[in-house]
Amino acid sequence: MGLDADGAGAHPAAAAVARLAGADLVSGTRLARTVRQAEHAGLTFVSFTDALLPAVAGSPASARLESVTRAAFVSRTTTAIGLVPQVPTTYPEPFHVAAQLASLDIAASGRAGWLAAVTRDAATADAYGRTVVGDVSREARDVVQVVRDLWDSWEDDAVIRDVPTGRYIDRDRVHHVDFVGETFSVKGPLITPRPPQGQLVVLASDGDVRPALGRPGAPEAGGAERLVDVTLVGGSGVGTARGNATAAREHSPLAGVDLEVVLDAGGRTGADRLAVLDASTPAGVRSPWDTRALRYVGDAAGLVALLTELATPGPDGRRPVDGVRLLPAVLDVDLPVLARDVLPALRAARLVAAPRAGATLRESLGLPRPANRYETRVLADAPSA
Amino acid sequence: MTVPDRHPDVPVTRPDAQVHFGVFFQGVNHTTIWSDPESGSQTDFATFERVIRTAERGLFDAFFLGEGLRLRESRGALHDLDVVGRPDAITQLAALAAITTHIGLVATQNTTYNDPADLARRLQSLDVLSGGRAAWNVVTTDNAWTGANFRRGGYLDHALRYDRAQGQLDVARQIWDAFPDAGGSDAFSGTVAHVSEHSAMFDVELDPTTPRSPQGHPIIFQAGDSPQGRDFAAANADVIFSRHGAVLADALEFAADVRRRTVAAGRPEDDVKIFPGTGIIVGDTPADAEERARWVRWNQVSPATALSIVGNIWGEDLSGYDPDGPLPAHDPVVEELGGERGSATTGARTREVAARWRALAEAEHLSIRELVVRDSGERGFQGMPASVAEDLIRWVRTGAVDGFNISPWIVPSGLDDIVDRVVPELQERGAYPTSYTGTTLREHLGLRAPLTRRAAATAVGAA
Repeated sequence: MGLDADGAGAHPAAAAVARLAGADLVSGTRLARTVRQAEHAGLTFVSFTDALLPAVAGSPASARLESVTRAAFVSRTTTAIGLVPQVPTTYPEPFHVAAQLASLDIAASGRAGWLAAVTRDAATADAYGRTVVGDVSREARDVVQVVRDLWDSWEDDAVIRDVPTGRYIDRDRVHHVDFVGETFSVKGPLITPRPPQGQLVVLASDGDVRPALGRPGAPEAGGAERLVDVTLVGGSGVGTARGNATAAREHSPLAGVDLEVVLDAGGRTGADRLAVLDASTPAGVRSPWDTRALRYVGDAAGLVALLTELATPGPDGRRPVDGVRLLPAVLDVDLPVLARDVLPALRAARLVAAPRAGATLRESLGLPRPANRYETRVLADAPSA
Repeated sequence: MTVPDRHPDVPVTRPDAQVHFGVFFQGVNHTTIWSDPESGSQTDFATFERVIRTAERGLFDAFFLGEGLRLRESRGALHDLDVVGRPDAITQLAALAAITTHIGLVATQNTTYNDPADLARRLQSLDVLSGGRAAWNVVTTDNAWTGANFRRGGYLDHALRYDRAQGQLDVARQIWDAFPDAGGSDAFSGTVAHVSEHSAMFDVELDPTTPRSPQGHPIIFQAGDSPQGRDFAAANADVIFSRHGAVLADALEFAADVRRRTVAAGRPEDDVKIFPGTGIIVGDTPADAEERARWVRWNQVSPATALSIVGNIWGEDLSGYDPDGPLPAHDPVVEELGGERGSATTGARTREVAARWRALAEAEHLSIRELVVRDSGERGFQGMPASVAEDLIRWVRTGAVDGFNISPWIVPSGLDDIVDRVVPELQERGAYPTSYTGTTLREHLGLRAPLTRRAAATAVGAA
């Protein structure tokens, strides 16, 4: 069970309704408090939605700090919860992205993930001074591939500190990746050693990062290398969300549902709150709140029932979905209700478990730690070409 | 390492000046002695945490991280003798920001292989999250070798590297200035300015998202020593991270040059603070300090490192040579060093270096290793805590420097002696603060408002 902890909340009018702007909205104090609340509530991870450009051009209420920096800031104020910044694949430098995320995983002792997202709007290309990337899926595939290659470019035991020979690293365990994609190439290796999880948990919205074709040397020789660990699907109802999750499991080990929530709180119904939020949505907003996510509006008991339905195994013994990422409309209003009325009920029913302090995000999600694709011993055993 | 000259004849021009300290966590280098049992991991967060907590306990102004965007290589093979592997600076500093309260956080970031939209936003994010403690150490690159890791790849003409740095900084300042000033009665008042820059090197159209921090802008550090680098610092920087930290006369000359350039750039002469990189070794007696310094020098240059350093100049693999024997009898095979060997030697004329070394080795009867130890030693202060404190005070009060950026020779314990033994001596002499007086890096350094905001600050002050 994850939670998006961006700004004032997921609804585009959250900042306006919460009367939060500029420095207050993005302060480190507020950020640390929110993520600590999420950790105390027993959530598995928080994500940090991000975009280079504001929701509303010119509005101080659209203030937002860069997501890896936010995640890193809370990495040492928490001990159990996963930290998943959204970082786009379309325009940023893949080499920097790989180093930043590896560094986050080191600071967070293995609790980092990456929500790999595509950027479709032309205004972002203008901000970078680039031509618009036409095939964002192809670019995403190349970028996720090279970032994964770079995370493996140092083997786990590359630092040997061998005093007799004076060697700090074993250069045979640090590798050039020599990646050549459609629009860029990267020589490698990374400047940062392999992160604690080996590979960070990569999440992506359904359809953003399509599976790669077989690559020479890929772990699943002849087949597609898995680029995404967790696919986030939407759906207009529970049935379609389950169907989408089943389809997504064809190409990623886990599939979770994005679920927008507007809960009854403070003597007002979720429906009333949503009406106020929708009416307060500023003109010119870049992404209005009518996303493809599943949506729940109502009381806590109803949400518990919905989540129970999604978490209860079917006749084949498998859960309909592997997890849920909650997108609370207004963090300061919805998170306390989740913490007080929703998560304890799910824990009591043994449908969710709080992550253990010191566990990696991979461990919390039941994902294995992957072998290194450049592992010397594996290459030595491989049949020669 | 030579003992800095005391120069009693150099006049004290700033009798009340205070010594300032920063710490440079080098990351990639051969001067941190990783082979010592006391040396900790260079990757674990705990190492960085211990260093920065010690520095903050010692009331240091800043904690400083270097950067490198490609691992060093020699003749196609990764260089394997030195500490290597470092975190992304801004990411690491953001994590450190949450566990510290006062110390400044300096990120070295390259202007050639970053996009201003990304870099300015990340720096400002660190500045906001840390409550106004961020700084950017502006460095440039021009080589295709580093470019092989980036989308734009390629080579930037050496002469243009500071043009790109200036353009990058100009766009960053527009992004940092875009938000209305905080503090009005209505937090929603004002409009975020649109940034539009169309120049030879940048085409940027952007609506920023990052509000201003309490210090207004991230502080600008600059470390280049070429005439172009000094002019860039004089026009733009708040702090120059100089190499002139070993010989007082040299430091005074450098300071005079920087101040001349700063005035020529239309700024007050004290607008750029000078922090040379340096090392400090203290002992219980002068002989003890000398013995420690000798131990440090010899452990910084292992036999393999000595052969590698000389082999880089000669452009060939000398690992079969005897490190305790003489330099190669023949001349170097390459004319000029490329970027892959590390920025410190880029562009060095190998025959000139070789000729100088040969003369030195013959005059003093030095082996390869002795030569490298001798040649790489001039970089710091040593002595008993009291005498080191007096040397540091003299440097600051003669106007040679404003502070020192200390590179510990071992991590994470390398600052302990300085904080526990030198800082109290400085404090006893009234030359070091006894508590942080401000919360922002700009306040610690006693800096004026950001260059692009002085007119506004003056107008408010006059009103």
